Amino acid sequence: MAAVRKYVSLAPRTGIISVLAVFAVIAALGIVPLVVKNTYLLHIMILIFLSVLLGSSWNILGGYTGQYSVGHAAYYGIGAYTTLILLEYHHVAPWYGAWAGMAAAAVVALIIGATCFRLRGPYFVLASIAVTEILRFTALNLKNLTNGAEGILATEIPPLTFHGRVITDFLTKVPFYYTGLALVIAVIAATRLVERSKLGYYFQAIREDQDAARSLGINLTFYKNTALVLSALFTSLGGSLYALYVGFIDPPTVMGLDLSVQIVLICIIGGVGTLFGPVIGAVVLIPLSEGLRSNFIAEELINWGLVRADSQTGMFLKENLGHAHVLIYGILVVLVILFMPDGILGFLKNVAARRRKAGV
Amino acid sequence: MPILEISHVSRFFGGLAANHDITFSLEEGTITGLIGPNGAGKTTLFNCITGFYPPSRGEIFFHGRRINGLGPDRICELGMARTWQMVRPLAKMSVLDNILVGALLRTGSVKKARELAAEQLAVVRLEGKARLPAGGLPIGERKKLEMARVLATRPKLLLLDEVMGGLNPTESEELIELILAIKQRGVSQMVIEHHMEAIMRVSDRVVVLNSGEKLAEGTPQEVSRDRAVIDAYLGEDDA
Repeated sequence: MAAVRKYVSLAPRTGIISVLAVFAVIAALGIVPLVVKNTYLLHIMILIFLSVLLGSSWNILGGYTGQYSVGHAAYYGIGAYTTLILLEYHHVAPWYGAWAGMAAAAVVALIIGATCFRLRGPYFVLASIAVTEILRFTALNLKNLTNGAEGILATEIPPLTFHGRVITDFLTKVPFYYTGLALVIAVIAATRLVERSKLGYYFQAIREDQDAARSLGINLTFYKNTALVLSALFTSLGGSLYALYVGFIDPPTVMGLDLSVQIVLICIIGGVGTLFGPVIGAVVLIPLSEGLRSNFIAEELINWGLVRADSQTGMFLKENLGHAHVLIYGILVVLVILFMPDGILGFLKNVAARRRKAGV
Repeated sequence: MPILEISHVSRFFGGLAANHDITFSLEEGTITGLIGPNGAGKTTLFNCITGFYPPSRGEIFFHGRRINGLGPDRICELGMARTWQMVRPLAKMSVLDNILVGALLRTGSVKKARELAAEQLAVVRLEGKARLPAGGLPIGERKKLEMARVLATRPKLLLLDEVMGGLNPTESEELIELILAIKQRGVSQMVIEHHMEAIMRVSDRVVVLNSGEKLAEGTPQEVSRDRAVIDAYLGEDDA
């Protein structure tokens, strides 16, 4: 019996406190739109949800399985285009269109997987970029299907009804907020399930050493493709959500390389291969990039009286800091990668571990 | 019926024959030592047998089934597992989880695999390190971990590639005892080793490779008296 108890103690445990904390956060997020009427804040929250969704999707393939795809815009674009093409040209409601998008993303993922997973390391990264660029150019040139560079404008999202009762008409940000929140919960729950299952252990074994994994009986092709399809399904949902929320898509915004990089950055900044890394990454990066874009820093410096608005520096900052947001953003990202190679979550964990060691 | 038959196996890299026309077989439940000077083709032969490089010529039968061309994962599933000369721990995963990954080959349940892994952990006496990341272990313990991990896949034939390299005498002794204990459980083994005393003690038969070809085969006593083997190891006697 003692031996049995020892096996149990070797299993990872979930503390009651952390479970309660997660439920408390979900409940608090659920209340936010009832209290907060500021649409800009809701907009930021929706962007954060979208980023968590994308980061967590990528994390399944990149973080757990170690396959650094820098082409996830492909699945995002497929989700976005499938949903809007079906909605605008065939009058299919988006909550069905999103499923079609997932199916299309899964099929494309398997085709990409069959070719790109023959490559390892940096070669896989390059192939993933190339394939997505091919898809972007295809979307640009298949004018009959995608309307090419002009993009597609969503003109009419039908109201969501249940037994004849209108649940929401998608006219405010609130339904998008709740949809985003639900998707975030779904992707984190799915990641958690994977993490604790045979799949998760096999994914991590592949990440650590592909040859060792193979020699332990792991079918690399099967498990890498499984990770890719799971990842693509959730990424496609992110694309569908974006397309409906913003109401306009064109190839550069939903299939561009910068989007693919952004998805990877969310994970790298937050912590690759950790359940909540993408959450941290999104919570740090989105307000940062939005704040820089709206010239928040210059305004606050002036508000706090650190710089006078009519001084030369003040005028310079007001004039230029907003335009320099990409530069500042880039510098901050480089600093985090240099000084926190395991991401913010990994950095905090290391600090905690060092403290514990010092305590003993 | 022999558990493994190697029939006229050759493996070429460009014009170099790393293995040339090697034929021998392993009886079930025995330990076969595979020795030879550096570069003799021992590890290449392991890679051919376990599916990492398909043999250029010849055939390999495991339990009478031809396994040329099967991938390493299929071969492991059939019951043949190998360790690596340069150990390959899954560095960021815990010691227990490393073994758990091996155990998952025979079960879909993580809970059950964890129990199997804990058993193997006890066999190699690493219980105290269960939760540590495998990448932080010293070399001796890494080798033990690697043994525990392949044992967790429940092999019928185990291929050990220099498990004693870099170990101190106490650790080597522990591994010799482990190899003999594994034999007691009916698992056949093929062992590459430079540690001659260990080879002589554990092996039922010894196969000697030199420059990619089989030089000699026999009981440890026969091989250690073989003129060609002595020449290959000590250099030919001009006197």
